[in-house]
Amino acid sequence: MTAPARLKASRARRPLQRLVQTLVGPAAFDFWASKLHPAWSWSRPLAKIVARHSESRDSVTLLLQPNRHWQGFRAGQHLNISAEIDGIRVTRSYSLSDTPRPDGRIAITVKAIEGGKLSRYLCTTARVGDVLDLGPAFGEMALPATPGGSLLFLAAGSGITPLMALIRNLAGQGMPVSLTLLYWARSREEVCFADELRRLAAQHRGFQVRFVLTRANAVADDECQGRIGAEQLSALVPDAVQRQVYACGPGGFVDTVRTLLAAQVPQFQAEAFTPPPRLIEESGTVQVTLAASGQTLSVPRGQSLLTALEAAGLQPASGCRMGICNTCACGKRSGTTRNLHTDVVQHEPVSALRLCVSSAASDLVLDL
Amino acid sequence: MTAKPANRPLSPEQLGHFAAELDALRARTAATLGQRDADYIRAIVAAVRYTGLAGRTLLFVGAIGGAFLPLLLWPACIAGTLLLALSKILENMELGHNVMHGQYDWMRDPHLDGKTYEWDIAGTGDNWRKTHNYQHHTWTNVRGMDDDVGYGLLRLFPEQRWKPFYLLQPAIAVIFAILFEWGVAIQDLRLGRWFAGKVNNATMREQFRPVGRKMAHQVVKDYVLFPLLAGPFFLPVLLGNIVANVLRNLWTYTIIFCGHFTADAETFAKASVAGESRGQWYLRQLRGSSNLAGGRLLNLLSGNLSHQIEHHFYPDLPANRYAAMAVEVREICSRYGQHYNTGSLPRQFGQVIWRILRHAFPSRPAEPLSAAASVASPLTGAQSSSA
Ligand code: FES
Repeated sequence: MTAPARLKASRARRPLQRLVQTLVGPAAFDFWASKLHPAWSWSRPLAKIVARHSESRDSVTLLLQPNRHWQGFRAGQHLNISAEIDGIRVTRSYSLSDTPRPDGRIAITVKAIEGGKLSRYLCTTARVGDVLDLGPAFGEMALPATPGGSLLFLAAGSGITPLMALIRNLAGQGMPVSLTLLYWARSREEVCFADELRRLAAQHRGFQVRFVLTRANAVADDECQGRIGAEQLSALVPDAVQRQVYACGPGGFVDTVRTLLAAQVPQFQAEAFTPPPRLIEESGTVQVTLAASGQTLSVPRGQSLLTALEAAGLQPASGCRMGICNTCACGKRSGTTRNLHTDVVQHEPVSALRLCVSSAASDLVLDL
Repeated sequence: MTAKPANRPLSPEQLGHFAAELDALRARTAATLGQRDADYIRAIVAAVRYTGLAGRTLLFVGAIGGAFLPLLLWPACIAGTLLLALSKILENMELGHNVMHGQYDWMRDPHLDGKTYEWDIAGTGDNWRKTHNYQHHTWTNVRGMDDDVGYGLLRLFPEQRWKPFYLLQPAIAVIFAILFEWGVAIQDLRLGRWFAGKVNNATMREQFRPVGRKMAHQVVKDYVLFPLLAGPFFLPVLLGNIVANVLRNLWTYTIIFCGHFTADAETFAKASVAGESRGQWYLRQLRGSSNLAGGRLLNLLSGNLSHQIEHHFYPDLPANRYAAMAVEVREICSRYGQHYNTGSLPRQFGQVIWRILRHAFPSRPAEPLSAAASVASPLTGAQSSSA
């Protein structure tokens, strides 16, 4: 929140709240509130894990009870989830896999990714009763206000989660559309929501589902195999080009779908989950996006970001220019940086990146 | 005073090695930050909260209960005041000061965020981040750049020009200690420049706004709202709050003055820091800082500023690591023949008091000997100040 926004919000607060804020302050309030209930907070959206069940061999669904600071969501959106692992808060985006519920609870389905810090933690370590930090819901993928006509959903891997929320939403409305879901997974054991999808397909004549396995043989009637391609697509869904298409999955999958269909179909919405870039290069330039001001600049790798941004005509706050005073620190939302003193490479989003002693190692998004 | 300890002159190459060893210690420590550091700072947060709650509760018990059971009044109020002072000392030093340096930013806990943390003291966190984190830590003991050298109020080094005003400084130093938090609060306003007409009223009003808001917040909280909670028995609560704040002021003043104004601490001329190498920067931090030897309780209550040298080498590393790092820092310094300034609290503070008294009167830097030493030293502007 910006300072003026915070001021406005605090002015609008009721007198009792202002009194409490003056007497104890938000940090102390959170400290004492968390003693009474782990998910109570002055202003931060937190949620308690109230149930967990495994969804496939490597995925779990967590049912969360958010506190009153959670602002809600639309089916098809994502949110940032943070948990503390070895003293460090780790944040990742997950899709909400259920539609908004009357009891206010929300569900995320998490697939344990090889080497993935938070996904492994959520799948194996997190327990009922633990508290997670929530970010606001985001994402553009959404159903029209009054859905109709015929739709095609293409999901790969954990790309099923936001589409599952849309399917549940449509099923809740009595399936007012003709919908086909093609869902790619490596093996049967990695398929999430299989039972529920089959049940919905049996209940609703307009809904068809096909599980496409890429590393296992198809056995059931609704299974088939092979990677996505033009032939496969026209064989499975002959009228694909007449449908409104929603696609979700890893970057490569979404790119393929986009080339195959985007130009021909009446409506195309897609979202890609791209794994964090791990490739480190020392030379050349990268794109730095400044989230607050919406600018994008090209800056050289290997140079201090402070110097590079100044060379581009910006004036970020700075002081010592040697990494000790923290004046130049700003949030990094994504991308990889290298510390010029220690050579340590940081892939994670951080709240305080010291621009003067960091260089860009990949494209970056900064909170400037 | 005793003769200045000799520092072995270092060649640029030796200085490079000196810096590399200190950098390596930083990297080794930074690589192991994790759960136990998080647990440590959370334990400090808890200690601040519980001592604060206990202190305030005891003040209410003393004030309200004491009205009916007079026996209760003094013991409860004294215990409450001491606990509240302890809570504020812990909050200001081990929690606030260290968190505002960004020492725990790697945890990404929004309540322990260096850029936004606000502490329980009259000065704003934002002003502190500028005058302390940047000016003081970057230009440590550089005259004319580090405001902390005498805070524009005291003459502590013979290199500062003497004025008759300084004859009053023994008294001024005491008043400054009692009101320390208010001094810190207005430090960045540079009222002297305003009095001299160098800053116009509109600018001053603009700069004062956030400062005034924070001051008002502290006054309303400690001197209006909390006492009012005791209703007609507000007076002991009010007095307890005042005393707790003053005790905190005296303690923080003592610790901070011991950090840079002991007998062996040096100040530096502006010219000496131009083009400073990393090794020279480390050396200046070392010569301008002094430690307090006292053990774990002193480390805790001083916010680990008992390791002022380590803090100045590594202001952004968690202070709970300084004690372990100090062993290696000291060893590195001795191998390079550099004096490591440390002593007990009474000894170091005694030297501070001596400075305050001595330099109230005209004094001159001890010239010939240290001038020769400083020519040989890479810090060409360094001047001894043991007068
Ligand atoms: S400018 Fe001081 S840490 Fe970057």
